[in-house]
Amino acid sequence: MAETRVSKYIEPPHLRLSRNRLYRRRFARNRGAMIGLMLLGFLVIYATLGGLLTPWHWSDQDFLALTERPSGRHLMGTNQGGGDVLAQTVVGLRRSLMIGLSVSCMTTLISAMVGAFAAYFGGWIERLALALIHFLLIVPSFLVLALVSNRVGGDWLVLVFALALFGWMIAARGVWSMSTSLRERDYILAAEFMGVPKWRIVLRHILPHLSSLLVVNFSLGVTAAVLAETSLSFLGFGVKPPDVSLGSMLADGAGVISSASWLFAFPAAFLLLFTMSMTLIADGVRDALDPVSAEASRR
Amino acid sequence: MMILIAINATYFFATLFLDPRSNYRDLRPTRSDEEIGDALALYGLDPRMPAVDRWWSWLSDVILRFDWGHSPTGVPVGSEIPHRALLSGQLILAGVVLSVILGVALGVYTASRQYGIADRVLQTLSVLLYNMPVVVSALGLILLAVWFNQKLGQTVLSVAGAGTPGGVAGGFWPVLLDRANHLVLPTINLTLLGSAGWHLTQRSLLLDNINADYVRTARATGLTRTQAIRRHALRSSTIPTATSIAFTIPAVFTGAVITESVFGWEGMGRYFIQTIIRNDVHGVVAVAAFGAAATAAGAIFADIATAILDPRVRVN
Repeated sequence: MAETRVSKYIEPPHLRLSRNRLYRRRFARNRGAMIGLMLLGFLVIYATLGGLLTPWHWSDQDFLALTERPSGRHLMGTNQGGGDVLAQTVVGLRRSLMIGLSVSCMTTLISAMVGAFAAYFGGWIERLALALIHFLLIVPSFLVLALVSNRVGGDWLVLVFALALFGWMIAARGVWSMSTSLRERDYILAAEFMGVPKWRIVLRHILPHLSSLLVVNFSLGVTAAVLAETSLSFLGFGVKPPDVSLGSMLADGAGVISSASWLFAFPAAFLLLFTMSMTLIADGVRDALDPVSAEASRR
Repeated sequence: MMILIAINATYFFATLFLDPRSNYRDLRPTRSDEEIGDALALYGLDPRMPAVDRWWSWLSDVILRFDWGHSPTGVPVGSEIPHRALLSGQLILAGVVLSVILGVALGVYTASRQYGIADRVLQTLSVLLYNMPVVVSALGLILLAVWFNQKLGQTVLSVAGAGTPGGVAGGFWPVLLDRANHLVLPTINLTLLGSAGWHLTQRSLLLDNINADYVRTARATGLTRTQAIRRHALRSSTIPTATSIAFTIPAVFTGAVITESVFGWEGMGRYFIQTIIRNDVHGVVAVAAFGAAATAAGAIFADIATAILDPRVRVN
């Protein structure tokens, strides 16, 4: 770390960057990451305030305009039931954002806890955790998700829990393998000899060390959750009518794709913008927190 | 071993979440729960019987007579599986093989021209494809093919079904051509999406190796840059790719389910949706078994590829 050495001896103290400010500056200089952040900001604003762009409520049905092209009356056209596509994308995007963020919060938390505790405690706890991870990886999770969400009949909160339950394993394996290499580090041993309780070592010393991995896992988890939700809803298992999500809107558009392409184009575009923005942000965070490994792995 | 446990766990999940009785509830004349139970008992789905007993009789049928049971309305699962498994199998196989080949080729091409125009364009394209939901890409392809067909004034690329309805006259070759034509778009869909991931990983793997000492040594012996990459760097950098093939099979299977439902194929993917809607416990488990078999086949394939590529692995 040449930078810190230089700043220690040459630069006056008030110019030294704290670690967080350094991270923030690296992130802000990454063009892709800033584009991703702006995209995400735009999508969040659209999902919260987009309803103001149209006088129609998402469940309104305009019987004078069934399957109409985009026009002044309906900016993004209407679907087969006369529903306003713009109003529906707002609600659908909001649903996708909420599902993606909440599922990813849960999976990141579960994977960090399971992975780090398993690696640090070792012994039978580690074996049990790894067996559980392997088992859940092999169970055909998409099938079980379809079963569960079909049974509960489109309640999206249950869907969130089900997606979280089957989404944490790969991330947990990553956390576990990183944590095993930390277990023998000097600062961990030092904490141990000072009599710090084991659970506190995990929370205070191991997990903060993995923060870059966790942030990246979080944003990739959002994408994975949104894609899973979209696929389920498209097949008719996840979010069901009268509730709308981007996936169920795609299902509406699928049958009439060549005659009414706007029913497909708008939800697809929002979906793609959302997943792209999360990937760009994940890349930016990884580069900002860990420029050395980024150079090793991506350049 | 783990696969067997997973299939049996799926049986219990399916019995827990599916209710075969609802298939009979809406029928006229109305039947009592007793009568429905008697009808279902024929197929080993009687809810009055403990789930463990039902599971045991199902499992012994599978093992002893390879009988995968019946749907709640009495259709044997075994009669639905073979032709569907063949359809989905060829889709998955083509998708995996082609996407690995295309992805690795792109990765090698772009890595040896790092930061060139081709590298940047393909990189952007792959990141875009990597984030594209299967649904969106499949529907987008249909839109493109329809537009293409309209431009040419005739149906060049078929967008629906695994073959022309009613069959094609004229013997073996026209039928084969018809099949191949219907296979094109779904395969392109799975291939493009899969290859994006392989491209990005292969590119970074090869870049790790391309500046290594042994490649420089190879060049010092008089090989050109291309030869050095092809003979030395490529081999060691494809080993991690080969080992990770098996882990992508479940994702490809999910992709195939959606691709089939978009392109109207009567494969395992359609069956998956139908069995869940019809509360067909045995059918669901058969789909799970098919997915597990595909994963196992992928694992064996990955092992063979690794053994060929990696001189440290010796086959006994």
